[in-house]
Amino acid sequence: MPELLAATSYSSLTGEFLRAGIETLKIAFGAWAVSAVAGLLLAVARDAAIWPLKVLIALLTAVLRSIPQLILLYLIFFGLPSVGIQIDALLTAILVLGLADAAFNAEYYRGSLLTVPHTQREAGTSLGFSRLGTMRHIVLPQAMLYMIAPLLNSFLSLIKTATLASAIGLPEILYHSQNEIQTTGEVTRVIVVVIVIYAVVCMPLIRLTAYVERRTKERLYT
Amino acid sequence: MQGSWAWTLYHALGTTIRLCLVTFGASLVLSALLATASSAPWRPLRIVTRLVVDLLRSIPILALLIFVYYGLGKYTASWQISPFWMAAIALTLGESAFLSEIFRAGIEAIPRSQWEAAKSLGFSWLATLRLVIAPQTLLPSMPAIVNMGIFTLKDSSLASIIAVPEITQAANDLVSDTFMPFQVFSLLALFYLGIILPFTIVAGLAERLIARYYGLHSDRARAARA
Repeated sequence: MPELLAATSYSSLTGEFLRAGIETLKIAFGAWAVSAVAGLLLAVARDAAIWPLKVLIALLTAVLRSIPQLILLYLIFFGLPSVGIQIDALLTAILVLGLADAAFNAEYYRGSLLTVPHTQREAGTSLGFSRLGTMRHIVLPQAMLYMIAPLLNSFLSLIKTATLASAIGLPEILYHSQNEIQTTGEVTRVIVVVIVIYAVVCMPLIRLTAYVERRTKERLYT
Repeated sequence: MQGSWAWTLYHALGTTIRLCLVTFGASLVLSALLATASSAPWRPLRIVTRLVVDLLRSIPILALLIFVYYGLGKYTASWQISPFWMAAIALTLGESAFLSEIFRAGIEAIPRSQWEAAKSLGFSWLATLRLVIAPQTLLPSMPAIVNMGIFTLKDSSLASIIAVPEITQAANDLVSDTFMPFQVFSLLALFYLGIILPFTIVAGLAERLIARYYGLHSDRARAARA
């Protein structure tokens, strides 16, 4: 236990973990951008489009939601090269984790679009806006507020699922911690450091998300 | 050739299902305890529970798996805990945090006046929770609970990282035998799709039915997965 508390033994760990942390952030932010764009597109398309497209989107999201992300990563990173398509690990992680997350969040974005009363759309149409124009200039600006909570939620979950990228060899935090454990045998110390890193980042984010969720819900129902 | 691959995967499916059942059962118990503690009339207990749940929600499930694997491997080496049970422990810890949030959201959705009414009838808080509150939360929470079952199934694939002989691990072995990663992982994806898609559809239908029955926008059913 005393070795666990010695501050000097941690300083040697921090530099390496900092670099790994940057890799984690790269994956998480990249996937977040993909998820936000794809999720919003899916939501808008599902809301506005004709039925064959709707069925296609519903099918696509159901498939993305039903296959574990780890398998999708394996399929793209290890599978595709054998049929001649090579995508680098970081891009694979960003695309797979982002799209899988979008499949989940599209529903929530759609929910936020539904908070805007239908009369607003009718008013937009009667003012001569196209369907897309109504969406862009009237519905989206009002729905934006209700997208903050799902967006925060999505970032929170992506910062954690970014660990899956270690399975395709990206040197993110968990990958690095495994290396550290295997080379130094310092199981407890590494575990403590990693748990502290995730707790410091995620716990405030969890409370913030809950707060935003509560406030926007109050606004919606009053 | 294809047939024998499917056969290999099919054989490992048993371990996947056993892992999921053990994990989900244990998660139901642990999360019910956590949700009970988070509605206790004693503030320090509520705060500690909140912190524990938030901490568990902060740690990635894959990290939990690896830490349980190395941690238990180091400190309980003499107990010879198999990777299967290590995975069950790690997944249970991870899933319980989310499941308890679903239960808690269900409990909080019941108006405070019901607690007060029960109290004035002489019910203790535990009796109120068990006899008055919990029965009302179960049905509306159902879609979210089924969703957690789906997550458990999907997350069980992570157990392959610590070499639990479940279906993803079987696929990994097949890949190193055959050097045909694309075909093997496609087949594996189809297996997961076949198991999980029916659940996804049922959960979606249940959500819509229940939302209509209760006349509420399925807020509770969408208890966040993060």
